[in-house]
Amino acid sequence: MKFDISYTIDALPRLLEGALVTLQVTLVGFVLSLSLATALTVMREANNVRWAHRALAVYISFIRGTPLLVQIFLIYYVSPVIGLDIGPYTAGILAITLNSAAFVVEILRGGLASVPSGQFEAASALGLKGPALWGKVILPQTFIASVPPLVNEFTQVLKASALLSTITIVELMRVSQQIFSRNYHPVEVLLGTFILYFLMCFAVSRSAALIEAKLELRRG
Amino acid sequence: MADKYLELIGITTRFGDVEALQGVSLSVARGEVVCLIGPSGCGKSTLLRAANWLTPPNEGTVRLDGSVVGHAPQGRATAAQIRALNGHRARIGMVFQQFNVWPHLTALENVVRAQMVVLRRDKSEAEAKARQALADVGLSDKMDAWPERLSGGQKQRLAIARTLAMDPVLMLMDEPTSALDPELVAEVLAVLQRLAEIQMTMLIVTHELGFAMRVADRIVFMEAGGIVEQGPPQELLSNPRTDRLKAFLDKLSLTTLPKDREHAEI
Repeated sequence: MKFDISYTIDALPRLLEGALVTLQVTLVGFVLSLSLATALTVMREANNVRWAHRALAVYISFIRGTPLLVQIFLIYYVSPVIGLDIGPYTAGILAITLNSAAFVVEILRGGLASVPSGQFEAASALGLKGPALWGKVILPQTFIASVPPLVNEFTQVLKASALLSTITIVELMRVSQQIFSRNYHPVEVLLGTFILYFLMCFAVSRSAALIEAKLELRRG
Repeated sequence: MADKYLELIGITTRFGDVEALQGVSLSVARGEVVCLIGPSGCGKSTLLRAANWLTPPNEGTVRLDGSVVGHAPQGRATAAQIRALNGHRARIGMVFQQFNVWPHLTALENVVRAQMVVLRRDKSEAEAKARQALADVGLSDKMDAWPERLSGGQKQRLAIARTLAMDPVLMLMDEPTSALDPELVAEVLAVLQRLAEIQMTMLIVTHELGFAMRVADRIVFMEAGGIVEQGPPQELLSNPRTDRLKAFLDKLSLTTLPKDREHAEI
């Protein structure tokens, strides 16, 4: 079979639609993951409840110690068994969120460690406490310090979202499979898919460099 | 002192097996400037940090204007106690050796933030207050600067402005010039001197004896977790009654007022 670029070009409009779904799923999953991980980070720091620390450690090691694909299948197939009718999109985003959060928690732990204890002291001495102390002083500095690994995690999530094709979510990978299973030109179609994934990740890491430069002065 | 505005009563603080403070009592009158001096590790910073309960002691009571800031030992603090403590902290300014300005906010935002959150001032009021405070410490031209771009002396003045904007009734200063390059010390001391002139009540941990001589109403000499001697600066420094203070002053004059830089790199 000869390589024919026109199959790539013909596939592009549908691939782009798939890429849009990939971006949506990634964005929603990452925002949820970041929120969950932030909540867990603050809880871990603010509460010295031992069982909570243990539970978090167990959660992190389970997530990191098993394949994401298994986690996706598990949530997709288990949810109806336990009476949750959530459909593939919700299940997929839930799996990505729970998976990514375990990594983001560790990223934020590192970012938080870089905030000097004097920052807590100065805020406390001014009368800030609880949500204000965290929201106005500590978390902004934690996020600023965590930008590079967070951007990296975002691209990880974006790439991992291809696994959602296995539970019938019509994102970029799934669209690509659908096209080449009909036209029997996997090489041409996958080339387009490959390029679109790369462009998305490339754009993300480039914009990260811009964010980095903007935040440079705020690191102190 | 007849008027006991700030009272520290029987403060005992232990760090593991080390008793950093052994039942120390000290009171400061309204408008009084008290300088705490003593060798490193004598407990002077720990005593200062007990005053706003930042390092809660194991035993002792702190009162400000008759109302309890903290009392130890006590069980889990109730919501009301925490609220009361934060109320006190809002009125007690604290200045740190390491400045602890917030790097993610501009100079102006550094001064505005706590006013809006803690004192619930609206933005325009907080900004007006902040501009005034920054002008008071000579930083009018640095309002929009990031702390990263400020010198050590400017950062410390910014930190002072941040507490001044809260209208403090008492200022605690923990070695405010110890982390500064020598040529930047004077600009910070000038600000502190001006605060002394306007009768701000201050408790200052310092190694700058010359400055203490000028601004303090009283100097308290501490050693090994206790107060050894205290009195008006002239009297205390020219006629030390105890051998320990004599030895401390001798050591300082031998080395022409060395600056304690041990903690500076933390």
